[in-house]
Amino acid sequence: MAISFTLNGKPQSVDVSPDMPLLWVLRDTLNMTGTKFGCGMALCGACTVHINGEATRSCVTAISSVAGKKVTTIEGLSADGSHPVQQAWMEEDVPQCGYCQSGQIMSAVALLSKKPNPTDADIDDAMSGNICRCGTYQRIRKAIHRAASMQTGKAKSAA
Amino acid sequence: MSAVVPRRVFLKSSAAAGAALLVPFYLSGNPRVHKTSGSPSSDSSSSFLPNAWLEVSQDGTVKIWCGKSEIGQGVRTALPMIVAEELSCDWRRVQVVQADLDPKYGDQLTGGSLSVRTSYDNLRKAGAAAREMLISAAAREWYVERSACRAENGSVIHLSTQKRFLYAQLVTLAAGISPPNDPPLKNPSDFKLIGKPSRRTDSFAKVTGAAKFGLDTRLPGMFIASVVRSPVYGGTPRHFNADEVNSAPHVRAVFEVKSAHLTHQFGETSGPGSRNYSCAGVAVVADSTWAAVQARKLLKVEWNEPPSASESTASLREKMLRLASEPGAVIRSDGDFDKAHASAVKKIDAVYEVPFLAHATMEPVNCTAHVRGDSCELWAPTQIPGAAADAVASALGIPRERVKVHVTFIGGGFGRRLIQDYAVEAALISRDAGAAVQVVWSREDDIRHDFYRPAACHVLQAGLDAQGHLVSWRHRGSSPSIETFYNGTGISPRAAAQVDSLDFPALFVPNFRLEFTVAESSMPLGYWRSVDASGNQFVISGFFDEAAHAAGRDPLEFLLAALGPARKIPVGNAETLDVGRRRSVIQLAAQKCGWNEPLPAGRGRGIAAAFGWGSYVAQVAEVTCDGNRGTLRVDRVVCAVDCGTAVNPLGVKAQMEGAINFGLAQALKSTITISGGQVAQSNFHDYEVLRMSDAPPVIEVHIVPSAEPPGGCGELGVPPAAPAVANAIFAATGKRIRRLPIRAADLHPG
Repeated sequence: MAISFTLNGKPQSVDVSPDMPLLWVLRDTLNMTGTKFGCGMALCGACTVHINGEATRSCVTAISSVAGKKVTTIEGLSADGSHPVQQAWMEEDVPQCGYCQSGQIMSAVALLSKKPNPTDADIDDAMSGNICRCGTYQRIRKAIHRAASMQTGKAKSAA
Repeated sequence: MSAVVPRRVFLKSSAAAGAALLVPFYLSGNPRVHKTSGSPSSDSSSSFLPNAWLEVSQDGTVKIWCGKSEIGQGVRTALPMIVAEELSCDWRRVQVVQADLDPKYGDQLTGGSLSVRTSYDNLRKAGAAAREMLISAAAREWYVERSACRAENGSVIHLSTQKRFLYAQLVTLAAGISPPNDPPLKNPSDFKLIGKPSRRTDSFAKVTGAAKFGLDTRLPGMFIASVVRSPVYGGTPRHFNADEVNSAPHVRAVFEVKSAHLTHQFGETSGPGSRNYSCAGVAVVADSTWAAVQARKLLKVEWNEPPSASESTASLREKMLRLASEPGAVIRSDGDFDKAHASAVKKIDAVYEVPFLAHATMEPVNCTAHVRGDSCELWAPTQIPGAAADAVASALGIPRERVKVHVTFIGGGFGRRLIQDYAVEAALISRDAGAAVQVVWSREDDIRHDFYRPAACHVLQAGLDAQGHLVSWRHRGSSPSIETFYNGTGISPRAAAQVDSLDFPALFVPNFRLEFTVAESSMPLGYWRSVDASGNQFVISGFFDEAAHAAGRDPLEFLLAALGPARKIPVGNAETLDVGRRRSVIQLAAQKCGWNEPLPAGRGRGIAAAFGWGSYVAQVAEVTCDGNRGTLRVDRVVCAVDCGTAVNPLGVKAQMEGAINFGLAQALKSTITISGGQVAQSNFHDYEVLRMSDAPPVIEVHIVPSAEPPGGCGELGVPPAAPAVANAIFAATGKRIRRLPIRAADLHPG
């Protein structure tokens, strides 16, 4: 049975087993490989996407539960890497192997949407579900603070 | 496209530290204008390919090939920087291209912290040769002497007239110039790129999700395989319910995958009796990952278990403890330990232990293969594409030349991808499935079927004289041996040792003895970022700190006093041990952290250093520790590093930060245990690694300015992190940490 949802702002319909995790729908059915498989148990955060704006582990999210909802993946953040969080990530030279960074960025974007100026403790709380084995944590912290100031700066200049 | 037979010229690397470090460098003798149909270039214009490493296009872009695997360490930035520096091109116009397996680039081994230091001279020559050819082309066009021209930022300039050709304008002309065999290299004081912090070339791909890792390989008609492997290494399937699983939705095939010899260890051929095999198992081949994973749950396999099914962490620990308490093979003996120790005024002894560790790269192990007849194409996240080709050719019984290896982005290496089991397995499954197949390892597969950092046990003794000088040191270690695993039992006890004759404090204690005994184990073993130093440095720096405290001396002062004055000590093979560089990193780390500034109660500072891979590092950790509550926080790590010429200081800092966090995971979190010959852990809930909330708020990295040749950086930062923290805990609480990972109970004052 077809399951319909909104993917990165566009209507999407897939005909797959309803228990298939969103992660594998994205990667195998839709060939959108920016969202990563890391653990399959919501333990590492590599598969993080937004569902109705909430950071969600797509590896344990059955596609049936996504019906009618808005899904945003790393590919939907910006077409050209221009999202402030992506920009901050590049300016702080965050990625090493880069495998976890799609998930890190999606978690960071969700954090900043709730807390535009997060403290280090807020970052620890929001980001501790995202493992980086290369150990880029200190740069992620800096990049989140940088993105926060970019976004609030933008908000100020728009006001 | 003109047919060109390349005349290959082998340029010897003059500054490589030894023959083993030489990397073949083939300079195509017939530079050419490359019509780009079917070539890597994206437009239809011609381009200049002076050698295997670079291409200058008429649109002004410069392509530079990376002959190593990008595992996060930044080779796709640092190596092209070296070429671009000597080429004097515009760095902003450089596109980095990953080299697939090609003899032009050697075996492309990416490990041992070797990439920059073994490529440095060759890549400089490659860039310089092209630059000289472009200068010659411009001079010829202007009818002026070459010496009247200079290359700068993508142009050749005629100095007196300031006439200028862009490289892009010289593409056709330069192709007619013979490449110089020994091009002049820049004076390092003229460097514009090397030594300047440069952001990574792959960040954009990695923040947009565009980077293609091994698991992102998508081929037409490709199936996905999930494999149940023998829970005990060396076991084989006796019986399984193939028919039942075969009838599951979207399943294409269910069959046995035989174990295959991996033929290689770290790029060398394995010795007779080696035990490095891929795991035997049962493959479920399906249309999608989810279908394969679901069908696999239906699989019931009975296994033929090898005798090692009785091995456990407890039995191995008992064995190692016994062996390390007895005399072992003598790796080094200076002076007379027994005599000096007998007359020492103060004596200390201790037992140190470290566990097996898995690599747990964020991208689970995987490989995609397509076997067609007597050829095989691989899309492999591998650190040694040449070894993957060798092992696959051997397993399939096809010529090595028939194995093509595409090198993908790699979601972490840490040594795991030096081993080629996944490539062999994928090739065998593709052959038997008759299709392109991607083998997806679950995280459980990845944790349970790794090649592990060996567990080890160390028994140490040290003696001090009346003045508090270290006069005797004996270190007896025992662990399973990586060398025996890969090379068989025919090697000598010294070769099998998981310690090194130059392990500190060798040469700095008059009566020093280092012994090692192999503890036989059936566990598969492998290189883990910094290899034996990962555990041994914890042991050595921890016990050295114990000696300092036993002497009633400040650990920093004790360490510097033991090292003595700056000097170079010959250690054989034309190598020297540079005490001055050791002292400098220790002093710099101490100075930057404010070693002598007091800390409040409950906080402590510890120092540890490591030397190797041609580089030097010291780290000071500051911790807050409450022994009664069992809480520990690493507040700050200050790191000083001397890696010779730091090609990309930003990358060096990233490697140190990452290595410290990797070392802290070992210190605080990770352990692999065995029960019934099987790994007990399976995913990140029980194989814990460092998370954001564990990561120190501050890591400072200070680079010692140096004009020495580049040293390695990938592994260097790992070994000191755990002992720096352990020593800081002692300073904070008086509790000595002698086993990893550190448990809350180990902090308790009782």
